[in-house]
Amino acid sequence: MGSPNLKVLLESKTLERCPFPIPAGWFFVDYSENLKPGELRNVQLFDQEWVLFRGEGGSVGMSDPYCPHLGAHMGHGGKVCGEHLRCPFHHWEYDASGFCKSIPYAKIVPPIVKREPILRTLPIKEKYGLIWAWFHPACEPPSWELPYIPEIEDASGYTGSRRGSWTANTCIQEIAENGVDTAHLKFLHGAPMIPPVEATYDGPVMKLDIGRGYILGTAYGPGLNVMRFTQQGVTATMISYTQPISAEKSQMNMSFRHPDFAAGSTELHIAKKIVDHMIGAAEGEESAGFESVDFIVWNNKKYRPNPLLCDGDGPVLQFRKWFKQFYVETPAELRQGQ
Amino acid sequence: MVVIKVRDRSGTLRELKVERGTLLMEALRDGDFGVEGTCGGACSCGTCHVYIAPDWAARLAPAGEDEKAMVEAIGELAPLREGSRLSCQIRLDTAQDGLDLEIAPAIE
Repeated sequence: MGSPNLKVLLESKTLERCPFPIPAGWFFVDYSENLKPGELRNVQLFDQEWVLFRGEGGSVGMSDPYCPHLGAHMGHGGKVCGEHLRCPFHHWEYDASGFCKSIPYAKIVPPIVKREPILRTLPIKEKYGLIWAWFHPACEPPSWELPYIPEIEDASGYTGSRRGSWTANTCIQEIAENGVDTAHLKFLHGAPMIPPVEATYDGPVMKLDIGRGYILGTAYGPGLNVMRFTQQGVTATMISYTQPISAEKSQMNMSFRHPDFAAGSTELHIAKKIVDHMIGAAEGEESAGFESVDFIVWNNKKYRPNPLLCDGDGPVLQFRKWFKQFYVETPAELRQGQ
Repeated sequence: MVVIKVRDRSGTLRELKVERGTLLMEALRDGDFGVEGTCGGACSCGTCHVYIAPDWAARLAPAGEDEKAMVEAIGELAPLREGSRLSCQIRLDTAQDGLDLEIAPAIE
């Protein structure tokens, strides 16, 4: 018997729960229908507060709250004027790109105001009926686009209004890692066996085939996941769009869709059962969906940068290597106070 | 100490004695020449515009990009001269002893 290996035995004392910055990528902000023209409100996302607004013509903006002039919080007393956000303090106005468009009393517009945006705003897209923001810690423009998802974009052929939202007290990487951790599907979820998994990586896209076609998942960066579950020839789709609220808190959001099967058909029954199974317990299924079992682990675990993996574990390290691309360094001179 | 010669907006010539290292804008503001220096040196307000005398203009460090852009913007509202500078960008040291300048008109 050797002497105790203190590095191994005491490592957990120095571990952190979520030792990561907010990843870069496209993230869900809110449902389009929840933001009316002329509306403005404060949202907590990406570890800070933002002012989300919709211009009277319909365009969406999301800005840092603090006016570049004298620091007023524009989400408290600010107003939407046309397509602009107007600060309550001195009525400086900004467009959705962060350019100052009006200083009502200045005789000389400061040259920087004409030249470049002075307010941090995030690039915004509305797609799938959702508002998306591109978050990048160093304010770089989007490096990839949101994909076409027929189940939620096509005008006909698909249906399903079921949505869900869950809070997880951990970061997105830890949540997403479960997708490649196939062994936990048997032991935590109670699947009859450890399903085989094949993962392929291509830039910001990761494709997963779990159980030889049973679940085909595609992750588009850290903020969008499309997972198609197939049973008895019927496919149902989970579109998952998780938000990084803070370094240790994520809001998981999902829409569930399936082909527009006839009322009362066997296919419709199967599709609905698959959706039940994606979330929690379902009739005739021995294994449990994430809602029933994953949170107790996510909410309490620590991140092990050097995990002790064994044969039979999934491609956890390959997944981590892929995910690392979304962690962008904030320029050192700007890091203070972030 | 550094001594400079300043022609105020009424045309009167005054000598001003300041500590080495003083910002010209602050010397003029504190000397009641009507220079406001609102932005504190960020080249964003244009209220500290001066005309440096021709024989001195080339002896100062040249204007940076931000200063040039602001001087250009001032040009839409006030006359510019060869020696147009923002006094917030000029620090007074022994090399500037004897500097000769005129306060430009206020922007109305």
